[in-house]
Amino acid sequence: MSNGTNNSEVFENLRLELRRGCLSLAVLTQLRTERYGYTLRKALADDGLEIDEGTLYPLLRRLERQGLLVSQWREEDKRNKRFYRLSAEGERMLSQLMVEWQRINTSLNKILQYEGV
Amino acid sequence: MSKTKNPEELVDRYLQAVRFWLPRSQKEDLLAELGEDLRSQIEDKESEVGHALGESEVAEILKRCGAPIVVAGRLGPPRQLIGTTIFPMYQFVLKMVLLWIIVPVFLFILIPINVANAGANWAEAVAATLGQLWSGLFIAAGIITLVFAIIERTPAVTSATSKWDPRKLPLVHKTEHKPASRLQAACQLFFAVFGFVWLLLIPQHRWMLLGPAAAFLGAAPIWHKFFQMIVPLALFAILRPVVTLAKPQWAWFPPVAELAQAVFTLIVLNFILRGGFPYLVLTGGASATAEHIKVAAIVNVSILISLAGAWLGLSIAIVIHLWKVFRFFRKRRAQVHEPLSLEAH
Repeated sequence: MSNGTNNSEVFENLRLELRRGCLSLAVLTQLRTERYGYTLRKALADDGLEIDEGTLYPLLRRLERQGLLVSQWREEDKRNKRFYRLSAEGERMLSQLMVEWQRINTSLNKILQYEGV
Repeated sequence: MSKTKNPEELVDRYLQAVRFWLPRSQKEDLLAELGEDLRSQIEDKESEVGHALGESEVAEILKRCGAPIVVAGRLGPPRQLIGTTIFPMYQFVLKMVLLWIIVPVFLFILIPINVANAGANWAEAVAATLGQLWSGLFIAAGIITLVFAIIERTPAVTSATSKWDPRKLPLVHKTEHKPASRLQAACQLFFAVFGFVWLLLIPQHRWMLLGPAAAFLGAAPIWHKFFQMIVPLALFAILRPVVTLAKPQWAWFPPVAELAQAVFTLIVLNFILRGGFPYLVLTGGASATAEHIKVAAIVNVSILISLAGAWLGLSIAIVIHLWKVFRFFRKRRAQVHEPLSLEAH
C-alpha cells in the first residue's frame, strides 16, 4: 500500500470519526421541527452537512430507540412517509448537548488559535 | 439481464435487491423509508429539470445511492470484524453453508450411514456424529469468517461494489398472497365428490376396486373399522375446496387445510399398516384354487408396499406443508408490521 493511499485512508477515518458525533447533534437540532427522512437530509445538506441514506436512517432508528425521537407513518402527497420529531427527553438531551458542544467548541477554538491553525 | 422502460420499476427492482441483503428485523421498515427517500429524490430532480425522469436519470440517482449490498450493509447494525459493505454477503454465505449444506449432509447422509454401520451401537454413532457436526460447524464458520475478513481488507471490494448498473437488476417478484384459484378449487371439488361417491359404492360393488378379482377376493373384516376412518377423510377432501370457493380471501386456509389433511391421512395410514394385513381375503372358502391364493398373496403384498410408500411420501409431504405454513405466517406477520410495500404509493 502506498503512503499516499494510506494517508488518505487515515484522513477519511478521522474525518468520519469527527463527523459522527456532530451528526447526532445536527439531526436532533433539525428535528425540533417535524420532518421526514428526505426533507431532513435536504435540510442538513442545505446547511452543508451531506448525509447519505445508509447513515441517516440507522441513526434515526438509534435515536428513536434511545427515546430521543418519536416517529409516525403518515400519508402526505399520496405517499406514506415516516415523520420524526424530538421527544420531551430529546429536548432535554439536546439542551445538554448544546451546552457541551459550546464548551468543546470554545476549547477547540482556543487550542487551534494557540497552535496558529 | 433484464431491461425496463419504466423508471419507477427500476426503483422497485433496486429496493428488491436491497431487501435481499437486509437483516430480517426492521427489513420492511427500512426498505419503505429508503423507497420514500428515493422517490422524493426523483420528484425533486423532476421539478429541477422540468420533465419526468428517464431510465438513465433514475439509474444515475440509484447509482449515487450505492450498490444494493453496500446500502443494505450500511442500513444494518454496525459490524466489527466484517465491515458493513460485505456483511450481508458474509451472513448469506454463512447461512447457506452451515444450515443448507453442512447440517443436511450430517443429518441425512452421515448419521444414517454411521447408524447403519454401527449396528446395535446406533445411539453412540448418533452422538459421535452430532459431536462431529458441532466441530464441523465451528470450523466452517471460522474459515468463512477468515476468508471474508481477508476479502474485506482488499481494495477489490470497493472496486467491485462500484461497478454495477441499476438497469441490470432482476425484475421485481410479486410476493403478495394471491387468493386461491377458483378454477383449481372447482376441479378439486369435482374430483373429491367423484372419489367420495366411488368410495361409498365400493362395499356393495367390489368390482369397482378389484375388477375381475372381485369374483374371488373381498375386503378383510378389519376394513369395516378402517372404512369409518376413511369416509371422514374423504368428506374433509370435499370440504376443503368448498371453503376455498366460499372464502377465497382466506389465503391461510389452503396451506393449513393441506397440512391437516396430510396429518389425518398419515394417522389413518398408521392404523391400517399396524393392524390391517392381510387386506384382502378369498371369498370362495374351500373352493379357492391355488392360483387364487397366489393372486391374493401378490395383491396383499402390493397393497402393503403401496401403503408403506404412501406413508413415506406423506411424511415428507407433511414436512413440506409445515414449512409452507410456517413461511406463509412469517410473511403475513412481516406484512402486518410493514408500513409500505415495494409498490409506489
